[in-house]
Order: sequence, then C-alpha cells, then structure tokens
Amino acid sequence: MEKRPHALLLKFPGTNCDAETARALREVGFSADVLPISQVDPSKLEGVDLVVLSGGFSYGDYVMAGRLAQLVSENRLGDSLKQFRDAGGYLLGICNGFQILTRMGLLPEGSLIHNDSGRFKCNWVKLKKGSQKDSPFLRGLPDEFELPIAHAEGRFVTKDAGEAEALVASGLGVLTYAEDINGSFSQIAGIQDESGRVLGLMPHPERFMSRDHHYDPDWKNEAGGEHGTGYYMFRSIFEEISKR
Amino acid sequence: MSFYRHIPITELDGEQLEQLSSEMKLSLSREDMVAVQAIFRDWKREPTDVELEVIAQTWSEHCKHRIFGAEITHVKDGKNEVVSSLFMTYIKDLSEEIFARKPGFVLSAFHDNAGFIELDDKLAICLKVETHNHPSAIEPYAGANTGLGGVIRDILGAGKGAKPIASLDVFCFGAPDTEADQIKADDVIHPLGVMRGVVRGVRDYGNRMGIPTVGGAIQFDESYIYNPLVYCGTAGVIPREYIDKEMSAGLKIISVGGRTGRDGLHGATFSSAALDTESHEEDQQAVQIGNPIEEKKAADFVLEARDRNLIEFITDCGAGGYSSAAGEMLSEVGGEIFLDEVKLKEPGMVSWEIFISESQERMVLAVKEETLPELKELADIYETELTELGNSDGSGILKVWHHGELVCELDCRPLHDAPTRHLKSTFTSPSGTASSREVESLDPAADLKSLLGDFAIVSREPVIREYDHEVQGNTLLKPLAGAAGDAPQDAAVMHIDGSERLMAMSQALLPEWGKYDPFAMGAACVDECFRQLVAAGANPDKIALLDNFCVGNPEDPNELGELVECVKGMAGAADTYSAPFISGKDSFYNYFETDEGPVSIPVTALISGIGVVDDKKHVTGASIRHSDSVICVIGTTGDAMGGSVYGRQKGLGNKAALPVSECGDFLELYRAYHEAVKNGWILAAHDIGEGGLAVALAEMGFSGKAGLDIDLASQPTSEDTSHTACLFGETPGRLLVEVATGDVQALLESFAGKAIAQIGTTSKEHACLKISFEGNALIDENLNELKEIWKNGLTPYY
Repeated sequence: MEKRPHALLLKFPGTNCDAETARALREVGFSADVLPISQVDPSKLEGVDLVVLSGGFSYGDYVMAGRLAQLVSENRLGDSLKQFRDAGGYLLGICNGFQILTRMGLLPEGSLIHNDSGRFKCNWVKLKKGSQKDSPFLRGLPDEFELPIAHAEGRFVTKDAGEAEALVASGLGVLTYAEDINGSFSQIAGIQDESGRVLGLMPHPERFMSRDHHYDPDWKNEAGGEHGTGYYMFRSIFEEISKR
Repeated sequence: MSFYRHIPITELDGEQLEQLSSEMKLSLSREDMVAVQAIFRDWKREPTDVELEVIAQTWSEHCKHRIFGAEITHVKDGKNEVVSSLFMTYIKDLSEEIFARKPGFVLSAFHDNAGFIELDDKLAICLKVETHNHPSAIEPYAGANTGLGGVIRDILGAGKGAKPIASLDVFCFGAPDTEADQIKADDVIHPLGVMRGVVRGVRDYGNRMGIPTVGGAIQFDESYIYNPLVYCGTAGVIPREYIDKEMSAGLKIISVGGRTGRDGLHGATFSSAALDTESHEEDQQAVQIGNPIEEKKAADFVLEARDRNLIEFITDCGAGGYSSAAGEMLSEVGGEIFLDEVKLKEPGMVSWEIFISESQERMVLAVKEETLPELKELADIYETELTELGNSDGSGILKVWHHGELVCELDCRPLHDAPTRHLKSTFTSPSGTASSREVESLDPAADLKSLLGDFAIVSREPVIREYDHEVQGNTLLKPLAGAAGDAPQDAAVMHIDGSERLMAMSQALLPEWGKYDPFAMGAACVDECFRQLVAAGANPDKIALLDNFCVGNPEDPNELGELVECVKGMAGAADTYSAPFISGKDSFYNYFETDEGPVSIPVTALISGIGVVDDKKHVTGASIRHSDSVICVIGTTGDAMGGSVYGRQKGLGNKAALPVSECGDFLELYRAYHEAVKNGWILAAHDIGEGGLAVALAEMGFSGKAGLDIDLASQPTSEDTSHTACLFGETPGRLLVEVATGDVQALLESFAGKAIAQIGTTSKEHACLKISFEGNALIDENLNELKEIWKNGLTPYY
C-alpha cells in the first residue's frame, strides 16, 4: 500500500487547536499524529512529511507568545527542525505555531506582538495571497479569501516598515490582510521562508473546512463545492507532498 | 506547632456555639451548631478543627442548598401554603416526572456534577452553570477567571470525564455610566471596572483552555452595583458508556493538577454570607488565583485516561476542596486520606487548611491500584502532577491522617441530612392594569432608536470578540453571524465529532420582569430559552434546561416570596414544554450593607438550555438572507407592557401587568414551526424579546441583505392591543420568520388555525426598515443608521 503523507503535530502544554487541526489534515488525506512535547526527540521526525505547530497558548504565553515553546523545542530538538526542512520537510505554524516558528528563526526575521488595539480579537477577515512567489500551501486558493482569526498577539512587525514591505515585495510576506486588522506592518498575516516549505500564518484554516463553518449561511465558494477555504489550503500541501 | 486541635463544644451553650461558628468563619447557624453538638455528644468526644471544617463545608448553603431544601411557609395574598423543599417539589420531582414522559432522553441528572441527555445512540451531552458572584465582586478578574475554571472542572468530573465543548457566560452589572456618587459604600468597585475585569477573566480562562465561549448575556441595572452576578456555564460531550461511575472499596484516591495552598480558604462558607465593605478588605483569601494552563494539562490527562478506561470515579475540587471531593467519594464507602502526601504551594499549612483549601485546577480520581503506573506515565506525558492521596476501604468512615495522627474520623451518615431550615415568605400579587396607551409611542422611530441604544439591547460585540468562539472548529451557528458576520443570533449551534446531530445552547434572563412579577419572569425565561433553541433548529422534544437562581436575603420574607413565585412560574412552563431540569444551582445573600441600608438584587433566574438539532440542515440563523422573501410573525401579541424595556424607558414601573406565558399555545406553535424547519421552509427565524417586534425586525435586517417592508395590520393580536404594544411589547411565544415566496402558502396552510400572519416582505430597493399599520408608516428608517446605534452602544465603555 502506498504510504500516505504523514503529519506530526507538536503539542505543548496549552496548545489547544491540535485536535481540529489533526482532523483537518486527516480530512484531506494525511495521516496525522499529535505528540506531546514531553515525548519529542529528533527520532520522532523520521517518516514525517509535515510538522505542524497548531494554535493555542503554549505555556500560557505569559512571557512573549511562543517564547517558552521555542526554548523547550530547541532543548528537545536542537536544530533538527532546521535539518528536517533542509532535507525537504514541510513546516506549518498556525497562530501560536506561527509565533513559535518565528521565535525559532525558521521564518524571515520579524516578531508577533500585541495587537495595536491591545485586545484579543476573534472574527473573520479578508486575506490576499501574494503573487510574487508560489507557496505550496496556498496554491489551490483564490487570490482573495476569508479565514477566521483569534489572537491577542498577531501584529507582525519588523525592525522597520521597509523590511516588511520588502517581505511582501519578494513574496515571502505571502499572506496579507485586505484591511488593517491588528497593526501588522504591511498588513502581513502570514509569511513563508525562501524554500517555500515553511509557512506561518495567524488565521485559522482548520476552522473553515466546510461551507457550514462560514458565518453567512449563503456563502458559496467559487468552485461550487461544500468545502471551505481551509480545506483547499490543507489539500494543496497534501497534493504537493503526494506528488514528490 | 500543632497542626490540628480539638475544639471543646459538647459543654457549650447556644450563644457560645454561635460565637464559635462566627470566630471560625463556619457560617453555621445556632441550630446547625446544636445539631453538630448533639452528634459529638452522641459520640462522647470533642471534634477536631478539621472535623468542624468538614461539617461546615458539607452543610454550607453553597454545597447543600439548604434554602432550596427548606420548609417554607408561603403566604400569598393572605393565603397560607407550606412548600416543603422548593427543589424537591418544583425541580426534582417535576423533572423526574418529565423523564418518565420521554424515556431514554435524560441519561443522568441530579446526582453527578452535571446532567446528561442523549445526543444519539453513542454520545451524550451535558451542561453545567455555576455562579461566582461574591468573588467577582471583590476581585472581578480572578473571580470570573476561577468561575469559568470551576465549571469546566465540573464537566471534566461529570461521568467518568466529559469533554468541555462550549461555554456560556452571563453577567449582571451596574450600568457602565454609573456616576461615582451613586455608589453608597466604600471600596465597591465601579461597574465598569467589574465588567472589564470579569470579561477579561472569562476571556483569559476560556481562550487558554481552548473552549469556545459561544453564549452569554449581560444585564445592566443599578441593583447590581454592589452585587454583580457572574454565571459561568460549560457544556460537554461524553461517550455514553462513560456516564455511570461508582465508588467501591479498595480503590486508590489520586489527585491530578495543581498544588494546594492557602488561596481559597472558606470560599464555600464565604459565599454563603452577605457582602459588606469589610468583605472587600478581609475576604481576599477566599478568592483563588486561576491558572488555565494547569487545568488544560489536567484536562488532557483526564480525557486520555478516560479513553483508556482507567477511571473508576472522578470529581472536581471545587468548593470545600479535598474535603468535599473526598467527602463525595468516601462518605458512603469510607476510606483514608493522607494529608502528608498532598503537594503544597507553601510550607506550614495546618491540617484543616490543606483539607478544605479551594486551590484551583485539581481533580480527584478513584482508580484501580494496578493502573497507577500507566496513570503516572500519562501524567508525565501531559506534564501534570499526580498525587496519591489515599484509598477507599469499605469502613463507611472518613479518616484523615496528618503527621501520623488521625485528625478527622467521621462517620458521614449522620451528616447527610443537615437540619431542615424553616423559613417564611410572603407575596402580594401584582395589581398593575395600565393599558399600553398610557405610554403611547408618539414618535415610534425615535423610540426605536432609543431602544436600540439601550444597554439592555445594544450589541455585545466588543465583549464577544474578546472570546475565542470558534476554537475546536465546531461552532456552526456563531454568536454573531448573518451576511456581515455581526448580527445577533438566538442560540449557538455546535457540531459534535462523531455525530450527525448537533447541540444548540441558549440562555435567558429577565430581571426587569422579576422586579414586578417574578412568576411571569420564571415562566417567560423558560419560554425564551426554549423558544430560542427551537428557533435555531433544536427539536422541541429534545430540550433540557438548567435553573440558576440568584437572590438577595432569603431571611427577608418578601425576597423569599419572590423566589417561591419565580420557581413556580418556571416549573409550570417547563412542565408544559416537557423540558426537564437536569441541573441547577442557587446563590443567596446577594445583598450589601451600604451606608444607606441593605441593597438586594432583584430575584434573578437564569434559565439555560441545551437542545438536540437532528440534522445540520435544520440549523437556522436569525438574519435576513434574501430580498424578495416574505416575513411572517408566529404568535399573538398582547397589550401588557409591564417589564418591557420600552416600559422601563417610559417610567411605566409597576403600573401595567406583565404578559402571561400561555405555554400550551406556544408549544403548538413551536411544533408547527419545527415541522416547517424540517420541510426546509424557514430561511431565518428570530425570537421577539427585549425591545419587541420592531427591535427584532431591525436585528434581522442587520445582515444588510435586504430592507424590510412590514405592515402590522394583519398580525395576530389579542383584543385591544395598541400600536405601541405591537411595536415594542414583549409578549412571549413569538417568532419572526423569513420564508421564500414559493413556500409561504405551504407554511400558512401547515399552521392552519394557529396564530401566524404574513406581515411583509424583504426588499432590495431600499435598505430601509419600514413598519406601517394599514399603509400608514409608523417607522421608516435607514437600517444602516439603526445598526450604527445598536452596534456601537457598548464601544465607548468597553
């Protein structure tokens, strides 16, 4: 039997979107395991195609969001996530996972800080996909789409505004909010690395797998199917890995 | 230093006993203390401080609900009646009768942390709602934080561990614009400070736990300035085989989660007394500190342990701490607890402090000894602390050891029944008869705007957005939805993994009604909750309710009389709907000694409910979806405007009667409506509640999909209903529905003989809300402008 692409979700104390993210990955065809961080060592990455850091509040995010998770991960994994990426592996960080990937230095330099409103914010937002550089995660998506966000620390900033502009121009700042949501420089909502195999984003694709998830009962996707936008995102990376 | 002591009580007189209770903060009455004395005289020894504390916890109002169990001599309009236990008469006995009417629906009730109803043949769902009023008054953030944390643990401790899937949070505050000089006591936190603290407390616990907060309500009234109310509720799901649990001899008792400290001493007894300025200074130690990540780790552990079938019995550590949890587990079977094993946050804690501490994030389990290694491994995996506390032994005696000494040795059987309280209540039926014409609306458009901007009605969006209401990815009908994603809905509907069926959840409270007619309030709250669930698509035969009461001073016969009437109204409606109560809670002593005398809250009943939605096609939102569809009103509008928001704005007070809930008639309408939902005829439906029909129409129009062109001439009314009552009256039992033109005929025919009327259409030509009577426009307003008023009402304050 042909092996299905396999996803490994790392779970920290306080990670809380792992179950629905695993469900979403399985729905598009992945086999998926959730592994508590206490059980993680470099050998656990063998046979894994996609490492996912899902949403939540790792260790409560009482210091900077994702900081403790970064330290614990580095302690347990050393630089094996970097090696995993260099060997062709894929990494996806959603919300808190994006914060952690950023702190780990697996994504272009930047920081996710408190929303400029100073508040947690849970609502749906319009997003734009950059056209400068392909992303295997976003390939199957239209140029504009909606996803829900839910975060207090989602404001993406760089040393200066120019760096963020450069990220968008180069295609690394691959996902932007159509409107200013949280004060992110250049309205960046998600970034990828040079390889395109690492993506971090604040919105939650796993919460929009079916049409029923949309707040508008009359929402229709352009392709006419029952699926939500998140489905096509997970399906894109599934197809990318499957065809290798 | 001695870590426990004997307290000589057998020789004390009544006054000395009462003084002792007060000194030890036991919150036991003289009568209770005499009963305790009798037990120890019988045993021919003096109690230890640990034993007295255990009894105080066991018998506290918070744990034993002794006012709901009291014998009440109720005098209504001069006629005497004796109610022996409000709980037994109007809640438990009634509900058990309803269980018998629909076998197999309620799977567990009244003995566990939460009651369960059938979702399908594999899964069951439950809901529990608690109040955390006193702590939230003193420390709003921590009080609300641990309020939600506590009710989540209730769900984790229901059955052999249910999975928390959704939360609701209901608050009553003083108005955000309360002037400082309106507050007549020192150290009382301004309502705005209470609101911000409470909302953030709920936000930070719920969001970190990863449980979507999907339901709620906020009421503002000056009577809540001193005693804010904070209701926290959580729903859960469980595989049916894990509902039943039983204690037996020979099990290990373990604790999982946080450590034990001096935080939260006397929470149960503290919340069984009134507040005053000194409470703000002295009772800080009764409020605990929340740590949601500790609880999240414990929750991950519990659910995994349950799935591996490692749990024989489980309960949460709430009020009374280990003493209540161990008491619940060991009071029948007996057993030993070793306090030396308890992991402490601080050194030097004495025996009773360890045993009754209400430190958060602890679960207590009974497990088979041979499973301990696997459980310890699981605890390591999820990085939570597991402690062996003791064992069950079949002796029937609760024994607590500390430093090698037996600090508590209680035969719990004599403690099961606390002395029955005897209380008096009086009630005089409301006598208002004023017609709505006394408060006739001379400028309906202006009145509508005034209602849309009323704190009772304005959008709760600033609060709702702070809650993650979509984590777990199952929130199908969200608290704010419609085409623009910001219009109010009647209920939340959750997908549940592994089932084709869904859970709807809603809640209702009408304290303004309770000020004038608590009986009408009780009935109307049940109706509103039930109606909202049905509107959103729940099957009317598959709805279960919870009752949560908050009352001022139960020793005041008038206040107790209002409670008795409220309970009766509620019970009658639930009986008619065959919607059983599966759980409930009550909170008394919500009054405050101000500089100008005591201020009590009005009797405040929160009715919350869960209902089964049989098919996801039945999920129905409350927002207009298309232009060129038809609007119908279901139900009959009456003239009574007592208790309405409009009536309050116009100073109607107690001059008018309140609407009567004709639940028998309503139920027929709801059944017919549900058939229409199943036939796919209903595009959208909204309950008519606070602010009446005009506000409900505006709210439906806030989706921005179409204008509304309505004429009220044909709507069913009782005799002599004025235009004002048609627009702004709050008669229960009514729904507005949007129906496609092609389905109207079939809908009306299916309702033949029942109260329904086609009252208008949705129009794309103008984004206007136009309401006329026989062609004469009463209201013709731009919906976007109305929405601005409604949407931004709370933003300056939050």
